[in-house]
Amino acid sequence: MSAQLGKVLALIISDRFGPVVEKVGMYLFQYGTSPLLYIVKNTGLPLGKVKESLCVLIKYRLVFFVPNKNENIANYTFIADNVLLMLRYPKYIHLIKRKFGDESEMIVEEILQKGYWTASDVIQKVFQRLSKNVDNAVSFGQLKDKFVSLVTAKYLVRIPYSEEDRPVPNLILQEGELHSISEIDIQQLVISAKTGQPFCFPDQGVYWAVNFDRFHQDMRDKIIVAAFTRKFDENAGELVRLLLQQMYIRTQPWADVSNPVPIIEIKDIIKKQTGFPQLNVFFDQYVNVIEQDSCNLIRKSGEASGGSFQIFLKEAFTQFAWEVIEQCVLEKLDSKAARIFRLVKLKQYIEPDQIQQLAMIPAKEAKRLSYQLFEENFLQIQELRKAPVGNGPSKSFMLFHINLPQVAQMILELCYKTLFNIMTRRSHEKVMNKRIIDKKQRVDTISMGMRAQGASEDQLADIEEMITPPEREILEKIDRTMKKLTLVELEIDDTIFLLQMYLIYE
Amino acid sequence: MEKKVQIKTEMSEDRGGDSSQTEDRDNVEARLLELAKSHPEGISNDDIKQHMKEVPLPEITTVINKCLKNGTFDLFRTKDKLFYKYKDPSKKTVNKGADNEEKVVYKIIEEAGNKGIWIRDIRFKSNLNMTQLNKVLKSLETKKIIKAVKSVSASKKKVYMLYDLEPDNTVTGGAWYQDQDFESEFVDVLSQQCHRYLLQKWEDANKISGGPLLARNRSYATAGDVHKFISELGISKVSLSVEDIESILYTVVLDNNAERILATNGSYLYRAVNRFLPSHGLVKTTCGVCPVANRCADMGLINPKVCTYLSDWLNN
Repeated sequence: MSAQLGKVLALIISDRFGPVVEKVGMYLFQYGTSPLLYIVKNTGLPLGKVKESLCVLIKYRLVFFVPNKNENIANYTFIADNVLLMLRYPKYIHLIKRKFGDESEMIVEEILQKGYWTASDVIQKVFQRLSKNVDNAVSFGQLKDKFVSLVTAKYLVRIPYSEEDRPVPNLILQEGELHSISEIDIQQLVISAKTGQPFCFPDQGVYWAVNFDRFHQDMRDKIIVAAFTRKFDENAGELVRLLLQQMYIRTQPWADVSNPVPIIEIKDIIKKQTGFPQLNVFFDQYVNVIEQDSCNLIRKSGEASGGSFQIFLKEAFTQFAWEVIEQCVLEKLDSKAARIFRLVKLKQYIEPDQIQQLAMIPAKEAKRLSYQLFEENFLQIQELRKAPVGNGPSKSFMLFHINLPQVAQMILELCYKTLFNIMTRRSHEKVMNKRIIDKKQRVDTISMGMRAQGASEDQLADIEEMITPPEREILEKIDRTMKKLTLVELEIDDTIFLLQMYLIYE
Repeated sequence: MEKKVQIKTEMSEDRGGDSSQTEDRDNVEARLLELAKSHPEGISNDDIKQHMKEVPLPEITTVINKCLKNGTFDLFRTKDKLFYKYKDPSKKTVNKGADNEEKVVYKIIEEAGNKGIWIRDIRFKSNLNMTQLNKVLKSLETKKIIKAVKSVSASKKKVYMLYDLEPDNTVTGGAWYQDQDFESEFVDVLSQQCHRYLLQKWEDANKISGGPLLARNRSYATAGDVHKFISELGISKVSLSVEDIESILYTVVLDNNAERILATNGSYLYRAVNRFLPSHGLVKTTCGVCPVANRCADMGLINPKVCTYLSDWLNN
């Protein structure tokens, strides 16, 4: 909850919902939980606008409310984390597309766009979208199956509802209802699609939303598997993937350490697979190599049933966070600074003299770099003072050390700042080139309209020529810039995810 | 009463060039030294003849002459008889003519050994005042009995030690120092080469099929292996010890390019390793490496709209 984060959130909200909603959201971010009238008074917006904004924010699960002591008034609270997740929506959609295919992707996309929706409505909407594409016809039954499988895989969850009629409803959810699918009447869907009449479906009032946690679980596993693939090879990556898969049978998804997984289970799965012949042949060796590696993320916990193994998720992310920070030091300062940083990490507490000796860096440079690291807050100094004995010279030791959670938090803040900078820059570029972008859009609309009317190629070429070659060049450049900024925005989000994972585990 | 005299023993020298003869001579010398050490009061020519009957006299003469020359033997005359006395070559006494102060200072410096001693410490120990001490040190230095060596740990600090001693590594800094300057380029080159060697070994091991365990075990290298590689490469003018290579390899480990494990015989094994993560998003932008990121804000002189770093990066 920093000012930097607030700035990023403000940008995201105003990008998506406009300035009024941004004002309300930012008020709640800054002042914390507040009732409606406070917001109205302090933002200076008319009551209607504030109400509307709150509705929007609640709809997208960016704000939740609980009844005040006076049960007729609600207290609204801003959920900052969910706002940042809006940047991650493309990733969620992509993940679903890879795992479940195009139809499921559309279902998730629609739900993300709406915030929450009923099953029947989503299916109807997706059906409409798909039916435009003739050669790819899908029946309602298939779509329903896709939806059900998303719910059973816990990518979609039911959101709480209220049963009693009160000014401020208490939202509840019965146990077991979170992932239990309700009735979906395909018959009615078909009829409604044919007649085009709005229909009262049986699952009205049963709303579904995306379960971010489940997506994060997948993303977390993906990071771990990718890391192992990079460090060892694909076979080792596959082994870890299967280990994680088997872990879920026995362990809570967010546990620090998995419960022991018998290795024989994984061996059986690999035997049935054909994709990794190497892994099949050298299975025991791979297990050995990974277990004995110095990273120590997978450890043997017992000899039962051919050996059972645990995977240390918390430690994995601690090591990843270290690597992220080490890279920051490397890029920001120097490889020598990174060496010093790692040395301090290995020794935990170290004197300046030892640094220059062990890191093989000239005394002066070692001193400069370690104090620069200290200045940039990567290192901390612990001073040990000896109690002065008599009137002799008082001795004190200076020890460098690293406070990882603090450094991780600092890098996270830097990520927010970068995100803010990139978004600001992008909107700035848009404003600066507004005239030319507008012109391009106008030309595009005209040429599209003319094409629809059946204009000849010559006429179309005339229209196209309204954009001069220099202008075209500028447009290309803007296009490149935008792509670059968007790409980096997604990559920064990856870093944020990694660091957040570490901080959550911590 | 003993009286020290300097006499050149006039004996014919046997100049045998044969290798077997030199070997004999070493043997004779060892025996002679042994004999002299067991008689702290000195040995006479008769004693030598008695103990080494089979050795020809010219041979013994050569050896005695050599020992007298390098100062292992002292020659005495007691009651018109010549005695040879064993003298530890590492312990030299101050020349004659030295006064008491010089003797005291000499003793303090001698005690310090090859680590040397700082002038302040000499002053504390000897209780001499500064001007007097300076004079004494200067005189000892001109006589080539002691020398001053600059320490690497503090460039202005001079330490004194006996003239014929080789300074300790802590004073000179070892192989990495040339005239009190740390040769960081040399270290960098060595570190790169060590990394290259480990990488090469790792790649070779991976090429040979035989399972990951075998590949891993093959990719380990000892410091001795690396030492051999570096010596054969001939990039180093000074001769490096295995310990030197060990410390270079540790920097490779610190650079996260290798890992170090303890082998069963107590030595270290090194191996090139990969990192877990590719370079992440933050360092791909300019902001992650920006030197003025702390002063950057949405307004003011440094802001993302006019940031030159960002512009350069975007135009690239």
